[in-house]
Amino acid sequence: MAPKGAAFFVSPAPVHSRFRMNYIKAVFLPALLVLVALLGQIALLHAQKSPAATDDVLLATMEKELHRGQAELARQDPAPYFTSYNVTDGESLFIIGAQGGILSSSRARHRSADVSMRIGAPALDNTHDQERFSGITSGQLPQRDDPDAIARVLWHLTYEQYRKARQAYTNVKTKTAVRAKDEDDSPDFSQEKPSTYLEKTSPAAFPEQTAWEELARRYSASFRQFPEIEESMVFLTAVRSHSYLVSTEGTKIVTADAVFRLVIQAETRADDGMQLMRVETFQSSDPTKFPAEAEVATKVKKMASDLSALRAAPLAEPYSGPALLSGRAAAVFFHEVLGHRVEGQRQRGRDEGQTFTKKVNEKILPEFLSVADDPTLRTLAGTELSGFYRYDDEGVPAARVEVVQDGILKNFLMGRLPVKNFTNSNGHGRAQAGLMPVGRQGNLIVTSSKTIPDAQLRSRFIEEIKKQGKPYGLYFEDIQGGFTLTTRDLPQAFQVLPVMVWRVFADGRPDELVRGVDIVGTPLTVLTQIAATGDTTSVFNGICGAESGSVPVSAAAPAMLFPDMEVQKRKYGDARPPILPPPPGAMDDKGGAR
Amino acid sequence: MSSHISLVILSAAGTSRSEVTAESKDPYTRREAHPVCRRSASAPSLTRALSAAVVLALLVFAPAISASAASSASGDVVLRALREEMERSKAKLKMDDVPAPYYIEYRVTELDQFEASAVFGALRNQQRNRGRLLRVVVRVGDYKQDSFYGSGEGTLDLVPSDDDVFAIRHRIWLATDRAYKAASEALSAKQAALKQLKVDEPVDDFAKALPVEAVEPLARLSSTDFTSWIHLLEEASAQYRTDKDLENFESSLRFTVENRYFLNSEGTIARSGHAHYVISIAGSTQASDGMLLQRSHADQGNDLKELPTREAFLKTTARILETLKLLRDAPVVDEEYRGPVLFSNDAAATVVTELIEPNVLGRKPQLGENARTTGKWSSSYKSRVLPDFINVFDDPSISTLSGEPLFGNYTLDDEGVKAQRVSLIEKGQLVSYLIGRQPIRGFPASNGHGRAAATAAPAPHPGNLVLQSTDPQPDAGLKAKLIELCKNRELPYGLYVETMGPRLEPRLLYRVYTKDGHEELVRGGVFGDLDVRSLRSDLVAAGTKPAVEDRSEPVWFSVASPALLFDELEIKRSQATKQKLPEYPPPTLGAAANQP
Repeated sequence: MAPKGAAFFVSPAPVHSRFRMNYIKAVFLPALLVLVALLGQIALLHAQKSPAATDDVLLATMEKELHRGQAELARQDPAPYFTSYNVTDGESLFIIGAQGGILSSSRARHRSADVSMRIGAPALDNTHDQERFSGITSGQLPQRDDPDAIARVLWHLTYEQYRKARQAYTNVKTKTAVRAKDEDDSPDFSQEKPSTYLEKTSPAAFPEQTAWEELARRYSASFRQFPEIEESMVFLTAVRSHSYLVSTEGTKIVTADAVFRLVIQAETRADDGMQLMRVETFQSSDPTKFPAEAEVATKVKKMASDLSALRAAPLAEPYSGPALLSGRAAAVFFHEVLGHRVEGQRQRGRDEGQTFTKKVNEKILPEFLSVADDPTLRTLAGTELSGFYRYDDEGVPAARVEVVQDGILKNFLMGRLPVKNFTNSNGHGRAQAGLMPVGRQGNLIVTSSKTIPDAQLRSRFIEEIKKQGKPYGLYFEDIQGGFTLTTRDLPQAFQVLPVMVWRVFADGRPDELVRGVDIVGTPLTVLTQIAATGDTTSVFNGICGAESGSVPVSAAAPAMLFPDMEVQKRKYGDARPPILPPPPGAMDDKGGAR
Repeated sequence: MSSHISLVILSAAGTSRSEVTAESKDPYTRREAHPVCRRSASAPSLTRALSAAVVLALLVFAPAISASAASSASGDVVLRALREEMERSKAKLKMDDVPAPYYIEYRVTELDQFEASAVFGALRNQQRNRGRLLRVVVRVGDYKQDSFYGSGEGTLDLVPSDDDVFAIRHRIWLATDRAYKAASEALSAKQAALKQLKVDEPVDDFAKALPVEAVEPLARLSSTDFTSWIHLLEEASAQYRTDKDLENFESSLRFTVENRYFLNSEGTIARSGHAHYVISIAGSTQASDGMLLQRSHADQGNDLKELPTREAFLKTTARILETLKLLRDAPVVDEEYRGPVLFSNDAAATVVTELIEPNVLGRKPQLGENARTTGKWSSSYKSRVLPDFINVFDDPSISTLSGEPLFGNYTLDDEGVKAQRVSLIEKGQLVSYLIGRQPIRGFPASNGHGRAAATAAPAPHPGNLVLQSTDPQPDAGLKAKLIELCKNRELPYGLYVETMGPRLEPRLLYRVYTKDGHEELVRGGVFGDLDVRSLRSDLVAAGTKPAVEDRSEPVWFSVASPALLFDELEIKRSQATKQKLPEYPPPTLGAAANQP
């Protein structure tokens, strides 16, 4: 269940800072800490042997210890009815560059284990309601393939998890006895067919640390020619891993994953203190498909000129009227406004707002719009999708889910936590290592049967502005992310964080860039008003955070015309731009001392 | 399954969401929380303190630092970048309506660290971290009253590890800008807060200090090939195979080199290098009644050469295993014991560290509080706090004591003030505190003890804190003295503490029988009343040979003490250490064929 005040957000960058430019204190250091905490006991240097899918010591040891534990714990009262081991065995490279220097660079090997266990019965078990997090215990496994050592650590984690689950089960029984019956009395765990899948892949090529450091130096040094950009950083991330899952139900899955990401982030401040940010992300499952340097240089130049334009741009005024969202902007909008609200677990639980719980088979969008979440798609419109996976984190095969068909709500994104009338998982139970999976988005795709060519959409937009007698409408070209609140005790609100927003005038004047715009509103009303869409699908790849941690996601949509969109002025800090100019020497051959 | 991208984006919105990430996932390191490192032969416990992990986490770093750069002061790019930004900030940093800074300080900590651990004979992790951490303090106001308050206490940033003057200056520039703005807000906030408070005797906010220039050599890791050390960790932790009842057995090492740069606007320029090598072994087991029993040992040195040989380390490991077995079979302490207790020098060093060290720090209390310091001895200045045969001093200038190496050696402290020997307790009377540049009542100037972890503001910390007796007893006679005290009180036995663990809990505790002097190991004892009061009233004798306890948190320091004899302390049965035995037995061991 979502904790009180849960907010969900999506961001294209590994580091996302909006309200404070001071990344280091606010975001950057915590993010690094988090990275390190997650990688946990990191190791580096040479991966001895690349983790192979089959007949490996790790998988054999996991299975053996799982079954031994099951047999032993069957003699306990209460005995667990389900146990699983998830192990992520991988390596990662994480480099941060700024102004041509390396701020941080680490190569790590990690092997982390999650032991999940359930006591009671699927109808009511230790993970019920507020005790959901009693379902899992995590730890670091030895990296060396020593079966005795691995088995011992698993044993230790297993009996600790047993104790945790048993205590929670007692609490659950007590609470259930004294509390009023839940409105949705669905079971706590769905019955699913076990899966077996052993992915044999030769591991993806892994970049050389020194070569990527050099890239980080070069890319970050290109900001030296833009002294008006206050802070800039280049993040290079490479992760390659195998995920292992074995359960007492008979599931046995090994999958291979690789993701390589380049994120470039630049920030500056307007004279009134407003923080302005641009982020560019390149992502691939193959590091050799990274963009050419010339392409990166062009993006950097564009980021710099965007930021200069934003610095000079007038402040947006509160506004209500026609708005045109680019495909990327519309994609983030749907991820926040619709996607998070159709996650299965939000349909039960006393704290949830349950916006759509009772709207199944009702119209929630214009009939020309359909929404599906399809994690089985690797690419869309020529772009690799971040939200691709074969099996979810509960071992259920990924499946395409038709969430909304022709405007009618049909389905929710389900993990193994059932909700009323939705008794089974549809392969959307996702979590980051160490957390209990819940229904999450993978690749959320919005399609339209009422498209008009993008160029005509603009004319339609201007017509709409004129029709409403407004002097201008707002065109949202790019958005850096967003967040949404779904709980009952907070407003059912969402925000997306637009960065490039233009006034499009009714009288044909050139478009004018404005800064400091936030879209606001409540989900049900905004969604039904969409008037038309463009004919090109754009993809937003990002990382989504919620109660089960951060998972990679994609959202895709065509551009959309909203006849009535409400925007507010963004709150912003009043810290002035730096008092002194940047230090001299930016162009002296990287400082001269090397 | 989806790939787990290991980065969480913190919600910029500041809305609360489930905090999921920061907790250690390692059940094997949770239990010990005692940043103790100790060397004396019979003792110990090294633990990874959380804050160390934090500092290191900031510095996950690996690229090579160019070796040529730092060998001389003139070619030192970090020093050059710091100087150039300092000059520029001093000359020009000034906002309209806000006074210019009266003081600016830059501290760069360049860290190179290798860490590894093995559990049950298999490598669990190894990690090399390098990086440069910058801390900037800007003060506005004046020495009497300034902005050092809340967000005005400094900003933190990383600077590139490449020797690239511009890239380094760029981050210093931004950090200085943030620090100055934070300082101006902090000063207003402080003045507003002070209006609500009545301060009887205001003390200056910052002490004046003479500028110093001291550029010392940089330190380097003495080896970068760690293979044999990893093998040793695996070999040592593989000894769990001899005892099926061990709950955990692990071995770890941490080799650290820290180079520190310090510059301030008063003209102080300092650079120093330190190295610290530690290797440790730790194990735990449960007695048949479920009591958790733990043992650990750490060896350390300023050079790899000072670490034990493989044979010596394996011998230590065997001793840890042996004592765990003995503890498991040892009887539980009596329900209650009140009587004489003898602490070995090793155990005594822990007691001194826990009970004396925190109370001799001259820390300024919170705004508006009139106490002199924050410790238990804040109102004990010129009073008797220990028996009259005890002296305590701190001396950062020494690097050994009775042949034992010390780790609290430094020339300048982290505020650029020359280290001084400070006599703290003379004949039992508290005569001074350890002072940094933040004055306390009656102590307007630093005595060279303003020290800081890389991420923190400087504060008073010891260097080498030494407790000595003016009437040292021969160590060999102390047990006889214990027996004599017990006989006088008609007690069948006295207690002897060989080593201490965290929270002042004895790990190896023996009954010493009065009738024949034989010793019996017991388990499960905790002190009822071991506190500063008992140090003053119940301490009756001290031995001769010191043992040294080394701590690395928040700064490296050493504490030395001889054995201490108390004529009355209470020891009772611990309730906390009882746990359930595992619900099912550990997996059976395979053939040891895959051992390293």
